[in-house]
Amino acid sequence: MTFAIKVEHLSKCYVIQHGSSAGSLKELVEHYRRKFFSKLIPRKQDSEPDPYEVTHEEFWALKDVSFEIPKGAKLGVLGRNGAGKSTLLKLLSQTAEPTSGKIYIDGEISSLLEMGTGFHPELSGRENVFLNGAVLGMGRTEILRKFDEIVAFSEIEKFIDTPYKRYSSGMQARLAFAVAAHLEPEILILDEVLAVGDVSFQKKCLKKMEEISSGGATIIFVNHGVDAIKQFCTHAIVLDHGQLMLDTDNVDEAITMYLGDDA
Amino acid sequence: MRIIEAGASHLNYWSILWAKRSLLFYLTRKDLIVRYKQTVVGVTWVLIRPFLTMVVFTMIFGAIANLDSNGLPYGFVVYAGIVPWFLFANLFGETSACLITNGGIMKKLNCPRLIFPIAILSVGLVDFVMSFLLLVGMMFWYKIYPSWQIIFFPLFILMTAATAVGLGLIAATLNAKYRDFQQLVPFILQMGMYLSPVGYLNQLVSPKWEWVYALNPLAGIINGFRWTLVPAAIPIYVPGLIYSIIFSIVILIIGIIVFRSAEAGFADTI
Repeated sequence: MTFAIKVEHLSKCYVIQHGSSAGSLKELVEHYRRKFFSKLIPRKQDSEPDPYEVTHEEFWALKDVSFEIPKGAKLGVLGRNGAGKSTLLKLLSQTAEPTSGKIYIDGEISSLLEMGTGFHPELSGRENVFLNGAVLGMGRTEILRKFDEIVAFSEIEKFIDTPYKRYSSGMQARLAFAVAAHLEPEILILDEVLAVGDVSFQKKCLKKMEEISSGGATIIFVNHGVDAIKQFCTHAIVLDHGQLMLDTDNVDEAITMYLGDDA
Repeated sequence: MRIIEAGASHLNYWSILWAKRSLLFYLTRKDLIVRYKQTVVGVTWVLIRPFLTMVVFTMIFGAIANLDSNGLPYGFVVYAGIVPWFLFANLFGETSACLITNGGIMKKLNCPRLIFPIAILSVGLVDFVMSFLLLVGMMFWYKIYPSWQIIFFPLFILMTAATAVGLGLIAATLNAKYRDFQQLVPFILQMGMYLSPVGYLNQLVSPKWEWVYALNPLAGIINGFRWTLVPAAIPIYVPGLIYSIIFSIVILIIGIIVFRSAEAGFADTI
């Protein structure tokens, strides 16, 4: 079986800094000043700890995760807040670098991480479609070709020349999804895209995702609502505290495990 | 097939940057459009700011302080200093803040981060062309015509841009971690405008201190800028010019190196 994405021993470590270097230069300078003077003038042993002391703490957002996504699969990623879902998607879409491990990707990736990336509030809906299309990797001619379709899908024909900032959050979400849905990627990453929008629009989104998938694309889908995952996905993984708990093509099993974690 | 692993994002950097030129175009367009949305006079602001600065400086340095202008109209002397200074100030200021203003896109998008400074450079050059057209108009008005030295003119634009972008990249990198630079840069620019020969000619500095004054790379650049326009009236200070040329090249290279070395972590630290 050929894979679209293969992840091998993937880890991502964030260094949490406590004390000065988390904030401003002034605090860092103050820290070194104190350090310098405490060497110069040895103080009593019981002097209070330096509040500007820099300490590091490692946080493994992902630890040794390995899995494979077959071509054309619809993978649901499940996990509670802080499980490492967003980190995984960041690494897949290359906005962050892994600390160790490897990801093999076969195909063009497009990711829709949080709605409205690259939308500017002052620009009109029309201008934003072009900007966002470019951010997502579409060329000008491709956007021009799909423009009418995008606008029709978002159902905001009437307001397409209104500044984006005057849109309701539902309208913003619809336009954002519409642009992303008209990409023709081989791998599509969707993070919480159904969070906004009413039920009928959510249905429309799922239908569109089905359509993209039937065109042969691989889809990675993160959603907190398990119903959409159950309905849509063919594979699922469950993450917990940065570790892979389950990798299965039995979506119900994954959902049971995820819901079981909650209890 | 692509392989992602630690440190791999440094490969093929410049070819990826080239492949993203459509994104660059829309980022530049966004920056151009967004600035003057919901304003009445719109893009005319690009001319109003340098023009009013010229009027005020001409009043202070020309009419009140009565400084020497080597026989040139004082307004022209000032404006010929304002044009390169505004190019420098815009590029330096905007570049130093580019990671913060584009933070939203940057966190979600995998692209060479140098695309943001390049978009800013493009916008800055558009602004520059507009304010330069006003300078050309002034030269016609005062009947000042350039000589063959005008061929060096593009050199000084490049030097201004290189110095501004180089310093801006360093400031942007530091700004990603220490927001102090967000406060510091506007202050430097405010002071720098008086420390550079914008409102006066650098020939007013006594020869004894000329070399100290020329340590400010903008002194040599602005001096040279005026020289290409009116070589007969403005002598060029050669040591300062050579220093500025070297400074602009070195600082641009350092800026790119510093920016690139911290680039992988920008999305995490911003």
